[in-house]
Amino acid sequence: MNTFLSALFSGFANGAVYSLVALGLVIVWRGAGIVNFAQMGQAMFSTYIASTMIISGYSYWFGFIVAILAGAVLGAFLDILVMRPLSHKKRGELLNSETMRAAVPVIASLGILGVLQSMAGIIWVAEERGFPAPFKQEGFTVGGTVMPFTSFDVFVVSVVFIALATTTIFFKKTGMGLAMRATALNQEVAKLSGIRTNHARTLSWAISGAASSLAGLLITPSSNLSPNTLDLALIVGFTAAVVGGLNSPIGAVLGGFIVGLLISFVTFYLSPEDVFISILALLIFVLIVKPRGILSGKDSRRV
Amino acid sequence: MSNTKHHSIFRKSLIRTLIFALLIIFAQANLDSYNQSQLALVLIYFIGVLSVTLLTGISGQLSLGQGALMAVGGYTAGLVITHYQLSMWLAVPVAMLGAALAGLLLGAAAARLSGPYLAGTTLVVALAIPTLANRFFSVFKGDEGLPIDVGYPPEWLSNLLGEITYEEWELYSVLPFALIALFFASNILLSRTGRVWKSIRDNQSAASLSGINYSRQKVFAFVVASAFAGIAGALYGMRGIVAPSIYPVSLSLTLLTAAVLGGIRSIAGAFIGTVIVVFLPDWINLLLGNFELSTQISDYLPALLSGILLIVTVVINPAGVMGTKLHKGK
Repeated sequence: MNTFLSALFSGFANGAVYSLVALGLVIVWRGAGIVNFAQMGQAMFSTYIASTMIISGYSYWFGFIVAILAGAVLGAFLDILVMRPLSHKKRGELLNSETMRAAVPVIASLGILGVLQSMAGIIWVAEERGFPAPFKQEGFTVGGTVMPFTSFDVFVVSVVFIALATTTIFFKKTGMGLAMRATALNQEVAKLSGIRTNHARTLSWAISGAASSLAGLLITPSSNLSPNTLDLALIVGFTAAVVGGLNSPIGAVLGGFIVGLLISFVTFYLSPEDVFISILALLIFVLIVKPRGILSGKDSRRV
Repeated sequence: MSNTKHHSIFRKSLIRTLIFALLIIFAQANLDSYNQSQLALVLIYFIGVLSVTLLTGISGQLSLGQGALMAVGGYTAGLVITHYQLSMWLAVPVAMLGAALAGLLLGAAAARLSGPYLAGTTLVVALAIPTLANRFFSVFKGDEGLPIDVGYPPEWLSNLLGEITYEEWELYSVLPFALIALFFASNILLSRTGRVWKSIRDNQSAASLSGINYSRQKVFAFVVASAFAGIAGALYGMRGIVAPSIYPVSLSLTLLTAAVLGGIRSIAGAFIGTVIVVFLPDWINLLLGNFELSTQISDYLPALLSGILLIVTVVINPAGVMGTKLHKGK
């Protein structure tokens, strides 16, 4: 029973962070039609910025906010510098085939990931450093027994829900959100209706950058910070996004929790070595049974 | 489909292969032992990069998991060598079959996927497969791995060429496999199969309308590419050890980088890209050796530079070094 509760709680807390990673991926996928494999590289970079701030004496919260802003700026910067020129290439220039047009942005994002990781290595000595948590990482004590849920977990879960609510409201209720949804649906038509699709795309990169930086800030306290720390989070987040449906923000969050729970139950009941194989099994199962994800709308794979 | 056409494809591939062989033999004679070993590494990577070229460049399936198939090949070779004492000349073909079988399973799942879905799934594969080594510790020996190597040169070769150093033998033992891989890749590219794969890459619906069973062909491309990766993986393991750390996720990304830099649609591009990726750290050392760089910078500089090259390539000329010629034809 105790194992069960531990697995449940830790899965829930980890799932919340994976939801955030998946949400970041979904936002760029919807906004720009790209799965951004550099996303957690960006998050790693802004977490290093926060860490540097905190080490040089600023408060945790100052570093926290600077990191999220830096994540947004970096995301927008990457879109303008790399992805926009790619999307504006004429058909013939981009290797002249459907599959390559989908593949080229993925390759570009892998290049970005490599650059960010090696730059972080060069700037911030490759040694691993810890990253502080703003709250205690000790379990609550209920009736004498220590519960496997810490005040930091509570913080993580609430931050993730706030982030989710904010993005949902942004997409559904604001004009810019509507413009972004229109761009995602059909770039040509959106452009013809007077939407600045470039702005919408860049904004989706910025929001995704901020969301993933937040995820980075929430993951690193439980591991160490190094240029490659967040690689696993990307892979788990991708699985979560596919499980929930790459097109659906709510699906991404649901997928995040499903994957988080899967990982923690496998870790507690089987062994940590089975985690990646079970992620792969889940991913292939979902792609074969329900390729559009459990919550995704129609036509999501017509790229 | 006439007989003469088949002959001309065969002849063309054979000539390419022979020129390549002469080039390598000529080059190695002028290299010191370190660079001979590096050249052997180039040939191994070249086989792996050809797998990416065929799969991604020709059949249009973007895979970030070719390193995992190399791992399958490496472990197959490691197991048959340690348990059955097979010679490398038998172990490598067995490894090729093992990887092709894994490619069949993976390809059957992959044929249903496209674009970023396929990329992400193969990335998870690249991460998950090497962890099996720890999961089934008794078979694969976990992080310790299975030590295998290329052994010693046979006597007749030493009699023929005189004293053979270890580095030379590393190169000579790899060269035949690289030549076979080059010959087959060239044949595939020039033949009907290559055109069928290209037609699927360029327009799946049109290919389907002209009577091509595209899912079967996609799986077939996956199997062939996996066979290449299996050979590369076995030879890569024979540089000392087969272990999870030899086949990390970054290996798959290195193969893709090499393929893209050189030109993802051409065999010559695959070779040029491989040379760039393997020798980049040495070239950087050569250029910046006089500056007193901290190890921190020099460790990360090659990765930084290849990342920048990758981005610049896709933004400016996605067809890679060998791509400009391709464009004019279109």
